[in-house]
Amino acid sequence: MAELFPLKQVLGFVISLVLTAVALLVYFTDMSFSLGMTILLVTAFIQAGLQVVVFMHAGETSDKKSIYTNIYYGVLIALITIFGTLLAMVWDM
Amino acid sequence: MKIDNSLPLEYSTEENSLKVLGFWIFLGAEIMLFATLFAAYFTLENRIGNGPSGAEIFEISPVLVETFLLLTSSFVIGLGIHAMRLGNKKAMMIFFSITLLLGAGFLGFEIYEFMHYVHIGATLQTSAFTAILLTTLGTHGLHVTFGLFWGLFILIQIKKRGLTPETANKSFIFSLYWHFLDIIWIFIFSFIYLKGMM
Repeated sequence: MAELFPLKQVLGFVISLVLTAVALLVYFTDMSFSLGMTILLVTAFIQAGLQVVVFMHAGETSDKKSIYTNIYYGVLIALITIFGTLLAMVWDM
Repeated sequence: MKIDNSLPLEYSTEENSLKVLGFWIFLGAEIMLFATLFAAYFTLENRIGNGPSGAEIFEISPVLVETFLLLTSSFVIGLGIHAMRLGNKKAMMIFFSITLLLGAGFLGFEIYEFMHYVHIGATLQTSAFTAILLTTLGTHGLHVTFGLFWGLFILIQIKKRGLTPETANKSFIFSLYWHFLDIIWIFIFSFIYLKGMM
């Protein structure tokens, strides 16, 4: 039975739960907007990375390089889209 | 068909490896799809017109339950893939079934949430904010709905054909999709709900 619950994945799940709890501090405590956003950015990206590495087995085969290049490219375009939009539409720069 | 037994079943042929890589590329495109939705959301979130703001309509408890359900389902499907690699078909099918049940639970809560929004007058037509909110949540919810059917068909196929290079490959690709939905939810949870209630 124990072989069905690999330590790495159980740990990954526990860390995800802890990170979710940390993110919730933003709601349950009184903090400044920039501190809250910093916490959310850190916890969200660590959790996303955890999913990709621990649960999606991104680095296990010889396609590792292609897979990571593809993820980094997707994330780069996502960040450019989001922050580009914020710059032009919200922050009025 | 050349089968390389040193690799897990889902990668064991060249075609299988290519399918996994191809699905990663699809997920890259999905990242960008959700990026455009988030970009639109951040632009429109304060344009509430005569409608309610996020802080007025978001409720922490259903969101927490949804987060917990999806996070757990993502963990459980990971266990399912692990069981698949051990060749344990029965355990794998149990884990996949639990995953789909948790996913259905998530969807149930999300449907309840949508009905609640409509009930309190936050519909697609109310304001730019409610329109983009429901579009973003709805796109994710639609992906989950699609995933439920996909997963169900994969379970049926595993039951009929057992664990072969083909069915293992399909199951693994489905697990990638499911984990990806959890990643998107983490961002929705953080930057739509928690940011809105901060």
